[in-house]
Amino acid sequence: MNIETWFLVIYFVAMAGIGVATLKMGNRDSEGFLLGGRSLGPAVTALRLQSSSMSGYMFLGAGSLAYTKGYFSLWYAMGDIGGGVLNLSILGRRMRKLSQILGSLTSIEYLEHRYPSRWIRAIAAPIAVACIFFYVMTQFIAGGRGLEMVTGIPYAWALLIAVGVIVFYTFLGGYLAVAYTDFVQAIIMLIGMLWILIGTMQAIGGWTAGNEAVGQINPNLLTMWGPDGFESVQWGVIIGAVLVFSIGYLGWPHVNVSHMAMKRPSAARTASMYATGFNLLFIPAPYIVGVMALILLPTLDNPELAVFQVADTVLPDFAVGIVMAGIMAAIMSTADALLLQSGTIASQDLFRRFIKPDMSDRQSVWISRFTVLILAIIGYWVAVNDPPSVAEVAIFATTVLGAAFVPAYVAAAWWKKANVPGAIASMILGTVSSVGWQLAGLVDSTGIDPMGIGIVCSTLAIIIVSLATQRSHPVPDHVLAALRETEKIGAIPAHMLAGQNDALAGQLPKDV
Amino acid sequence: MSADLGAEPEDELSVVEPVRMDPHITAAEALAVFRRKLPGAVAEAREVHHPFWWAALRVRTRRLLKRSSQRPGQSMNVLVNAVSGRAMIADFAPVGTAVTAQQWSALLDEHGDRSRLPSRSEADRAARALARAEVVRTVKLGMGIDISPANGHGLRGLLKPNWLVTGANAKHSATILVDGLDSSHFIVRVERLSPSSSHP
Repeated sequence: MNIETWFLVIYFVAMAGIGVATLKMGNRDSEGFLLGGRSLGPAVTALRLQSSSMSGYMFLGAGSLAYTKGYFSLWYAMGDIGGGVLNLSILGRRMRKLSQILGSLTSIEYLEHRYPSRWIRAIAAPIAVACIFFYVMTQFIAGGRGLEMVTGIPYAWALLIAVGVIVFYTFLGGYLAVAYTDFVQAIIMLIGMLWILIGTMQAIGGWTAGNEAVGQINPNLLTMWGPDGFESVQWGVIIGAVLVFSIGYLGWPHVNVSHMAMKRPSAARTASMYATGFNLLFIPAPYIVGVMALILLPTLDNPELAVFQVADTVLPDFAVGIVMAGIMAAIMSTADALLLQSGTIASQDLFRRFIKPDMSDRQSVWISRFTVLILAIIGYWVAVNDPPSVAEVAIFATTVLGAAFVPAYVAAAWWKKANVPGAIASMILGTVSSVGWQLAGLVDSTGIDPMGIGIVCSTLAIIIVSLATQRSHPVPDHVLAALRETEKIGAIPAHMLAGQNDALAGQLPKDV
Repeated sequence: MSADLGAEPEDELSVVEPVRMDPHITAAEALAVFRRKLPGAVAEAREVHHPFWWAALRVRTRRLLKRSSQRPGQSMNVLVNAVSGRAMIADFAPVGTAVTAQQWSALLDEHGDRSRLPSRSEADRAARALARAEVVRTVKLGMGIDISPANGHGLRGLLKPNWLVTGANAKHSATILVDGLDSSHFIVRVERLSPSSSHP
């Protein structure tokens, strides 16, 4: 076994150790965590938000975009960098406060409480699970490709090991383990990525020398207009690229759940400072490395491996092992958050809500586990037989999540007239328009990104339908009162904290 | 049984210095919670209490290689449901009227066979595990954690207030339990008043 593989093994064992230790401690106390759960400070909130959203995409997709399109890819980086700040600024404080007043524990449940109709959950949950599945699949592929490259074992086996480790880790890591390890993983990711960037700069003789060399290949790669120059710019695609990860981010249920776990609504402001710092340090690096890979590895077969191959070329063996641990940290922290979220949506938002309301906690946990396993098996099967491009699938899943949920989440906290029919129309139209646009191949013929179309359709839908149905479907008084309270700065009055609290089931008098 | 507990009675379920908390939520506020669920309902609220173990703990962090910490640490009040054994962290210091141990035990007896209820030492372990888990989430890797009873007290008894609200509007009849401290609620029963259907 080479030294890189040893580092990976040590990393896996360390993360599993944290999972086992925290599992033992937290096993009996789910009630305590539900009650005391809103306790994360700004630094942890920001790093959880970033490490669970900066995924294997950053190491495969970002490098691939940069390798093929040069600095045009920085449009995506701009969206990435601004995404965390926008999300915390627009949704953070209000969503934290409103979710507590409405008593919501999951981000889909939050939508149903804000727009009180069972159809909200019935529509939102399957869309979220489907998109999350696609995104998880990209993490599997990224993990498999990385292991294949480092260990030299065939892709199918490397993928199996990656999926196995991710699922094992997800099973071990409940809420507590995830919260505890995300901070560690964020730091490892940052160190790994910066190490590759520094190694790359040393290998090419500095950024200026690197840019000059790239300019000799194709001067257009040094501009932000793409390899074919300004004349062929598709402005719709550029707007979509910025929107995908900046605005699209606001629609991720597994990211938005971080807002609900903050200690105080005001933590959002400080958290956005931490998020900005992390993003500025981390996000540009894989794009720059991807561009410089054109000089170091001009004949790369698979551009998605640009960052991996550059790391292998410019770093000493032991450093490649540490960097690989960083890459696996990015993949695992995203994959386990996504898998846990999909398990929660399946058990809480679908099964308990619509199929078996009296389901016990034990059954609920098993539904979650079963969902995670099924998703892992299907994901493995697709990834091993016909692996799609990580960048394409990740961008597609983000696009659909963004188009389906962004107007619903933003209007939930900011617009008192947003009602049930408006939210339903927005989610359906956003999903159908973005998926349809992509499948019909209209991106190339029109030059307009599906994110742009999807977000316009879903935004118009929530505005028009909500206004048209104000009389037949008024926003309930208790939601309006909650929204009025959400506008204010300060503590929530006790009488507003009226959420359903399952912990009270254990406090029923005997005569009831 | 934990060696850290203060003066403890011999019976695993007997209790020292129990207190009964007064609700922070008024009956009118509990009724308002009910009417938010069932608009226009006519309802009545009855104050009920549930027995808890109350552990006042002091939690200190120390470096892994240091045997003890000189830091004052943070105090934490953990309530353990005396029936289900589940623990929760209270963001308030439980204060109330002193009651007799018999009053606390009588409420516990309502829940049936005492041998099936969590023992005092189990409650202590649950409280410590939760306090440890809560602190672990915020401290650096490699920190050790010392947990000891605050003020020299071991577990005390606590009667936590809730409101049991029953009522109906034109369409539904329902019973909900409203938390007497934070007004969160649990729907105990909902019945559709039309003869054909009902749902939980």
